[in-house]
Amino acid sequence: MEPATPDLGRLLQPSPLEPLGHTDAGLEAVVDEDAEGVRDEDVPGDQTMTENNFWLKKIEISVSEAEKRTGRNAMNMQETYTAYLIETRSVEHIDGPSVLTDSLWRRYSEFELLRNYLLVYYPHVVVPPLPEKRAEFVWHKLSADNMDPDFVERRRIGLENFLLRIASHPILCRDKIFYLFLTQEGNWKETVYETGFQLKADSRLKALNATFRVKNPDKRFTELKHYSDELQSVISHLLRVRARVADRLYGVYKVHGNYGRVFSEWSAIEKEMGDGLQSAGHHMDVYASSIDDILEDEEHYADQLKEYLFYAEALRAVCRKHELMQYDLEMAAQDLASKKQQCEELATGTVRTFSLKGMTTKLFGQETPEQREARIKVLEEQISEGEQQLKSKNLEGREFVKNAWADIERFKEQKNRDLKEALISYAVMQISMCKKGIQVWTNAKECFSKM
Amino acid sequence: MSGGLPKALPSTGPHSLRDMPHPLAGSSSEEAVGGDSTPSPDLLLARSFADKDLILPNGGTPAGTSSPASSSSLLNRLQLDDDLDGETRDLFVTVDDPKKHVCTMETYITYRITTKSTRVEFDLPEYSVRRRYQDFDWLRNKLEESQPTHLIPPLPEKFVVKGVVDRFSEEFVETRRKALDKFLKRITDHPVLSFNEHFNVFLTAKDLNAHKKQGMALLTRMGESVKHVTGGYKLRSRPLEFAAIGEYLDTFALKLGTIDRIAQRIIKEEIEYLVELREYGPVYSTWSALEGELAEPLEGVSACIGNCSTALEELTDDMTEDFLPVLREYVLYSDSMKNVLKKRDQVQAEYEAKLEAVALRKEDRPKVPADVEKCQDRMECFNADLKADMERWQNNKRQDFRQLLMGMADKNIQYYEKCLTAWESIIPLLQERQEAK
Repeated sequence: MEPATPDLGRLLQPSPLEPLGHTDAGLEAVVDEDAEGVRDEDVPGDQTMTENNFWLKKIEISVSEAEKRTGRNAMNMQETYTAYLIETRSVEHIDGPSVLTDSLWRRYSEFELLRNYLLVYYPHVVVPPLPEKRAEFVWHKLSADNMDPDFVERRRIGLENFLLRIASHPILCRDKIFYLFLTQEGNWKETVYETGFQLKADSRLKALNATFRVKNPDKRFTELKHYSDELQSVISHLLRVRARVADRLYGVYKVHGNYGRVFSEWSAIEKEMGDGLQSAGHHMDVYASSIDDILEDEEHYADQLKEYLFYAEALRAVCRKHELMQYDLEMAAQDLASKKQQCEELATGTVRTFSLKGMTTKLFGQETPEQREARIKVLEEQISEGEQQLKSKNLEGREFVKNAWADIERFKEQKNRDLKEALISYAVMQISMCKKGIQVWTNAKECFSKM
Repeated sequence: MSGGLPKALPSTGPHSLRDMPHPLAGSSSEEAVGGDSTPSPDLLLARSFADKDLILPNGGTPAGTSSPASSSSLLNRLQLDDDLDGETRDLFVTVDDPKKHVCTMETYITYRITTKSTRVEFDLPEYSVRRRYQDFDWLRNKLEESQPTHLIPPLPEKFVVKGVVDRFSEEFVETRRKALDKFLKRITDHPVLSFNEHFNVFLTAKDLNAHKKQGMALLTRMGESVKHVTGGYKLRSRPLEFAAIGEYLDTFALKLGTIDRIAQRIIKEEIEYLVELREYGPVYSTWSALEGELAEPLEGVSACIGNCSTALEELTDDMTEDFLPVLREYVLYSDSMKNVLKKRDQVQAEYEAKLEAVALRKEDRPKVPADVEKCQDRMECFNADLKADMERWQNNKRQDFRQLLMGMADKNIQYYEKCLTAWESIIPLLQERQEAK
């Protein structure tokens, strides 16, 4: 273990990028889904982390309010944004009362910062996604305006969901920056920047379209990347069509409202038919207005699908990371092989590989034995270093694959559970809509029968 | 169909027509007055059929036989009888079995008209003939000409305005058949129209075209008289009840028009909804192909949406075929009724003008000249017939709309029930726990 520096980033829980010492212990914690306790042996020795008591109690997190605020941004321009209240409660005993331990306000950009940080420090984890920044897949009645109260409300729920996902993740829940996000209002952003995570970030991860020719990727990751692409595509399509379906359904229901008015007008000129028509018209009005609640409920279903649309991206990122690591590994191996080759040639005097030095030597004359010795020495040092690096890269790579695959398996279970629940709740919504429809038309039919 | 004096049916009341006084004899008040003169032959034709078939609840003389108005009050009483079950009916007409005929000049559809009757006006108890739309059109025109004081039911539209519809498609032909069936049934139910000679010919003649060419001049007396009513007289004051009917029909037609537009719009929106659903369902199938544990649930949802789509298509088809045409029929009905009202106005106007002319001439009263009397009778006849028909129409309208709207509600209930069944049946599939591998 390297000497401790006042570097918060390293006070944090085991990251696979760390040298090997504690990784195994960390893995046990991964398998243990109970976020309640962190056993002492898992804590990397720093006794000042009294905050670890935090994890011994069950916590409840809620994003309970949203508030419109105005302030000045970095360019000193007036801007309006929404702030969200995050409340953390601890529960001492099961079914016991919860005590409010922390409460602070955060805006969306701070959530984004938290997530970007987690992406860098936990590349082997499928990091929960944030709710969408801008409203997409809207059907006409829904506003695409970020300030619209319905959008803000759905975003509040999405942000709460995000925090709960992290809190229930066996690895992510232990992260110190996450803890501070919930507890330290002021200065939190600075703290995050101080970890230097931006320097650690692999910019290549963002370059989604760049291809790296990897010779021996782990087939599982290749397949998974393909799956995540397909999943993104199919869920996007689904959400788009669903929005159109909602639009049309809205139209059907609302036009029926016109019956209400015309039946009422017609009933005025009728004697015996009047009452029946009038009351039937009322039911048509009820029918027309029922669609608003129905479609609002359906938005929750759409949000559940959206979460997995964005999760697909997170999945893809993990696969990408493997690809890059493998690429680096292969590049390093290639480089080492070529250096070894050069060394051998210099030593034996045969030139099989093309090298600039070789060419120039041919053109401008042989080098001296001393020069040659010097070069061999340099190469041998480089080779030795290279072999060390390759060894550690290999190990890193295997660790990554092991940890990442463990989290992927966890994710798959979660996804299957969640989506099944989502489909069930969607079916329940449809059943409820059908029952309401039957009720209204049965009532109308009765009114008609009295005409 | 033989001419001459009609024979009394055994089921008629105790008095034959011969015993009934001349309707126009005596005073021209609307009150029933007795008289003794023999009915004139041409009048017999007009009135005989209606009175012939009377099944009077009390037996005995049909009340108020002296004036034309009497037949209307009889009609009123008859309405009760007509509403009873088929046992009191003696005429049944059905339209079915559409067939396509391809000739060198044209292609057209004929329908089979089946008539069953015990009425003496029919030589045989049963008839089966084939008629095409043209023939129905001819019949309607003839009825309008010969029974101008009555409301003639409407025919489905002659030309299909929305050029996209196929005249020979199953749906179009079936819709038309239903409307034509309705048309004939309405005439059958009418105590005066059902005895009309043209109607009889339509139901029975082997070769209708031959009859058409003959140009049957079997106009009723009323038909004759109204035919000759010249227009251009200005109406003084419309009796309240007819003004009210006129206003009612105006508003009624307006409201129906609105309902027709709403219904069409709903169907349009439903079809567009259906189009989206047909794309929506299969996406779940596509997704299902990517998944392992979720494959069955997703496929289940896809199938479910497919079932709902089918149910929706059935709903829109039903509404198009059964709901819209009936609405349109009633709009046509009220249009033709307004025309009858106009004619009535004309008859009244002529009478008033003639009366005024007489008053100005200051001739001896109380002897009212015959032609003015005729005008008055004509007017009162018309009024009575129209009133009776209006009441009958109102009643039928109420039944028809009750049935129509209940039908609409029913179709929607069935649609939702089908969808409900589909969604309820996949819940267990969704909740299924996969066996641990």
